[in-house]
Amino acid sequence: MNEAALLQNYLVVGGLLFGIGLFGFIVRRNMIVMFLCAEMMLQGVSVTAIAFGRYHDDWGGQMLVIFIIAVAAAEAGIALALILMLFHKSGTLDMAFWQDLREEGQPAFIDRGVPEERAEDRVWPTLTPAGVEPEVDQEEQRHRSNV
Amino acid sequence: MDDWLSRFLILIPAFPLAAAILVAIAGPKLLKRWCHVPVIVAIAASFVCSLGVLSQVSRLSNDAVAEHSTLASAGFEHVVTLWTWADVVEAYTPPDDLEAVADGGSRDFRIDVTLRADALTAIMLSMVTFISTLVAIFAAGYMHGDRGYWRFFAYIGLFVFSMTMLVSVSNFIMLFVFWEAVGVCSYLLIGFWYEKPEAAAAGKKAFLVNRVGDLGFALALFLIWTNYGTLNFHDTRADGETDPVLISQAMEAQLAGDAPGDNESLVVRGVLGRWRIAANDYVTGKVALAICLLLLLGACGKSAQFPLHVWLPDAMEGPTPVSALIHAATMVTAGVYMVTRCTPLFMASPEAQLTVACVGTFTALLAGLIAMTQFDLKRVLAYSTVSQLGYMFLALGTGTVVGISAGMFHLFTHAFFKALLFLGAGSVMHAMGGVIDMRRFGGLRRRMPTTHATFMIGCLALAGFPLLSGFFSKDSIVAAVHDRVHDIEHHLEGHGLESNVDDKDNRTNRSHTTYESYSEPEHSQSTLGQLANLPAAQLHRFATVYQWLYYSAMFTAFLTAFYTFRAFFMTFYGKEVIPHEAGHHAHESPPMMAWPLIVLAVFAALVGGALDQTIIHGPNLFGTFLLHTPSLADGAAAATFKPFEFHGNVAGTSGAIAILAILLATYLYLGHQREIEWIRRLMDFEQFAKWFDVESVSRWKEVAWVKQLHSAAKSVGLGWLTGGLGNAILLLVLIAATPFMLGHFISPYKLSLGKFFVDEIYQLLIVLPLRGFAVVCYAIDRWIVDGFVNLVGRIPLLVGGLMRSLQMGLVQFYALAMVLGVLVLLVARVMLAAG
Amino acid sequence: MNVTALLLAQTALTLDSPMTWGIGLGAAGLALRLAPQAAWQKLGIIAGLIGIALIGVALPPLGDVLPQVLFWLMATLAVFASGAAVTSRSAVYAAIWFAVSLLGVAGLFLLQGAQFLGVATVVVYAGAIVVTFLFVLMLAQPEGHSPYDRISWAGFAIPIATIGVALLIGTLVSSLPEFGSVGTPNEILHKTHVARLGGELYAKHLVSVEVVGTILLVALVGAIAIVIQGNPRRRTTSEEGASDR
Repeated sequence: MNEAALLQNYLVVGGLLFGIGLFGFIVRRNMIVMFLCAEMMLQGVSVTAIAFGRYHDDWGGQMLVIFIIAVAAAEAGIALALILMLFHKSGTLDMAFWQDLREEGQPAFIDRGVPEERAEDRVWPTLTPAGVEPEVDQEEQRHRSNV
Repeated sequence: MDDWLSRFLILIPAFPLAAAILVAIAGPKLLKRWCHVPVIVAIAASFVCSLGVLSQVSRLSNDAVAEHSTLASAGFEHVVTLWTWADVVEAYTPPDDLEAVADGGSRDFRIDVTLRADALTAIMLSMVTFISTLVAIFAAGYMHGDRGYWRFFAYIGLFVFSMTMLVSVSNFIMLFVFWEAVGVCSYLLIGFWYEKPEAAAAGKKAFLVNRVGDLGFALALFLIWTNYGTLNFHDTRADGETDPVLISQAMEAQLAGDAPGDNESLVVRGVLGRWRIAANDYVTGKVALAICLLLLLGACGKSAQFPLHVWLPDAMEGPTPVSALIHAATMVTAGVYMVTRCTPLFMASPEAQLTVACVGTFTALLAGLIAMTQFDLKRVLAYSTVSQLGYMFLALGTGTVVGISAGMFHLFTHAFFKALLFLGAGSVMHAMGGVIDMRRFGGLRRRMPTTHATFMIGCLALAGFPLLSGFFSKDSIVAAVHDRVHDIEHHLEGHGLESNVDDKDNRTNRSHTTYESYSEPEHSQSTLGQLANLPAAQLHRFATVYQWLYYSAMFTAFLTAFYTFRAFFMTFYGKEVIPHEAGHHAHESPPMMAWPLIVLAVFAALVGGALDQTIIHGPNLFGTFLLHTPSLADGAAAATFKPFEFHGNVAGTSGAIAILAILLATYLYLGHQREIEWIRRLMDFEQFAKWFDVESVSRWKEVAWVKQLHSAAKSVGLGWLTGGLGNAILLLVLIAATPFMLGHFISPYKLSLGKFFVDEIYQLLIVLPLRGFAVVCYAIDRWIVDGFVNLVGRIPLLVGGLMRSLQMGLVQFYALAMVLGVLVLLVARVMLAAG
Repeated sequence: MNVTALLLAQTALTLDSPMTWGIGLGAAGLALRLAPQAAWQKLGIIAGLIGIALIGVALPPLGDVLPQVLFWLMATLAVFASGAAVTSRSAVYAAIWFAVSLLGVAGLFLLQGAQFLGVATVVVYAGAIVVTFLFVLMLAQPEGHSPYDRISWAGFAIPIATIGVALLIGTLVSSLPEFGSVGTPNEILHKTHVARLGGELYAKHLVSVEVVGTILLVALVGAIAIVIQGNPRRRTTSEEGASDR
């Protein structure tokens, strides 16, 4: 196996993962998705580290990735707790909701032209039913039409 | 330093200063109601020291005269050097194109803090401290219970310190410093009740008007420095040594040609130093005129002479004791003192002396006319002060030592009776609850007998009633002017030499003379001094001017007597009227205020006769003593000396005028005042206005005989003639009425009541243009200068505004910015790597 | 312009290089996926796939067939899934796509011989973190899609981000040096790989391991503290009654 080519391929993949994560982090509004994108950037870095580790025949890359995973786990715990708390305060996961830090006199950012929700997007992922169909609570159906 | 004279000289200003500091520090918390005690004690101690100075100077003067052959001149001065304030080496470059009157030896700008004792200073010191003591005692009663009690006495102490320093320093710079210091004290005391807007404005006005004069004074000092190379009054050695014997030795060595090698023992002749006076080494011509006129401007500011007299009447907003102390008796005399001190300078310029006399006379006349119609008692007294100061300037302007001595004598006596009058007015004001408008009270003689009696003595003295102080001093002024005219005319008629011979005879006949030395100077062929060098045509003009000044002074004497007694009668006679502000304390003032009045009354009555005994062919003690002053005892001034004598005809005339005016005032104001009302209307052009009233004139055609005449003329076909005649008369009346219609607004009465609208003219000519200029400057500053600064300040704001739009509070935009930054760094790295 | 030209000249990103077009098309695909129109979104998927393919073409061959195929599979899976994850309208789908992407990454790890890390990634990420995501999503977003999921940053933000990220990746990728071959990595590919990894970790990096353990503990406590602070304990009804009384 061509080690040099392997390294180069992995570096490209890592860069792509990192870039896609970065793109998502900047572009998406949902805080959870943003956090997810941040994790994706970590994945890109991990791929690169592993590739360099193998290329140089050194454990350092893998050690780094182990710690990345551990720290990412800790980060995930805290970040999700924070997101949950922010959601409790604002009732939304929208990042743009928290724009009060803006400079005095700056106009607030307001969404315009939000597209209607498409029918196919309303459907949540479902599993193929099996067994006896349970009784459907009509009351609950009215409140949770998407489920 | 170790003789009593020096100690006294130092102690006189030190006492009030210490008291002022003590009161200022301990007054508000510790002394409280007893703030007056340290100040009164200190000023009284100063007075005692002043008496010591007086007696010492008197004794030493006589000694000096006896042994004057070893010294430069017959005058006596004693100089105490305390410390060196400033010493700039090689500061002076003598001008090439000016007469060399500066001494070649020293080039240093050396200011020693020096005190001097001579006759003039001794007189001023005694007068100032004596009046101040009495006024401070009076003020302790008058200001009782005022919130600023401690402040008042601290200011008084400071003022007495400044004034005593002013009259005893021996250097023009120090003179200027204390000149300003008394100005500051005056400002503080006029604006003492600073909550009152009028008081604050009056303080500001006094200060600003004085600045104009001070500008002149400062310029004069520059000129003196340029021309004389020193600002000391007295002769010194270059190392500051002032001992007259040492200076004489050094000077004689210098004159003999064997000048010492070291610069230290070179003699720097002071501007008013004895060696300079004796040699009469003064610049003449236009430079002298400029110096003198600038000094005169300074003196006008401080002594409230036209055109800078406007501040003094307004200064009456201050507490009455202040008016008495500063604005009547002491501070305003600083100008007179200064001009007297600088007599040798003025002697060098007869034109300047004539100007001094004219300014003084004009001010005296103007102020007298204004005082005729004022209703504010203090204002009448203020204008009379201005008027009397005008007299003093007239005396100084005569240019003879006798005249100058008369001016100082008037200053001396005036201090007593004007302080008395002001304190009397303060007593009245105190009783009337602060009301000072004479129309609102009257007939107070029964309620306030002491004030009434003392005020009457003051009025009589001021009016020049025979045998009271004012009579002697004013008479000697008028007589000096008269003499001056006489001398000039004599000289013109070619009798100059003979009159000189007479003078010599007179001099030798005098038993108590100390002035034999004056017969020796080579330029003493006439008492005219520098005047004698002028061409005859100019002398004629001088004589004419002095003649008019004499008449004017006589007329002013009449005015003085009249307005004084007008105020006196309006206040103390007639129906008893008490304003409601007086409340229940419309009674005689407490003893603390009454006793100073009595003391002053005694002095006001007697001091003139006691010091000038020429009426009984006795000696003129005041004049004789004053002429020991070096400035007056030698040189050009001494050349104008004539023996003191009593001018019976002049005195008789002025006395008669005073009595006549008093009688006229009595007649007009003691009765129903119907005549005075008629005179008022006459002076207000009311009658004239009625005669020339267009409507009443047009009503003539209704009169029966005019109608008949007109119809008769019509019947014979001449109706056009009478009609035209009537219209012509109407037109003429209209034209003739115009000046009187205008005159109704600027009638003599209105002019006098409106103080000749000097304030308004200043407002129009000076204040308004300055305001306009200030508005323009403000606009420039506000819109152009500030605009530019703001523009510069706006640039960061503008840039910040651009950046600000990036701060939209959206976290992801910050992240984007970071990404872009990383991108830039990366690109830079790649390109650098590429080389 | 000069900068761009110089940059292009200095890197592999020339206009005739498939890498350039691949990155550009991929970025365009990402951007198109976020457009509101359904047709554009489909176009975005196609553009993305073409972009991935172009990048793949541009990559140097590995030499062996099996690793090459596996790499292609795993890399395509990882990159495509991650692209789908960041562009999904629904957060739930995004999380699922992220899990798929993690599987691809885990595969790539295995291909590199990092067996432990491949498994750990699946277990920790896909098994734990993504599930936590879904929990939070369930707590926070019980009722369907939100408007902020339907739109992304309007106006210039998407183009700037697209171009910026494309440039970033392009610069990163193109600035890679030509690596020379260094031979077989014997240490990493040793038979007792996991044992050696453990030895390395607990021998050389013991302190770091302890520190990371502490960090995890602190994060645990912190997360609980934050959530409790956000939700103050409600008073019981009896307490309410007592206070009312």
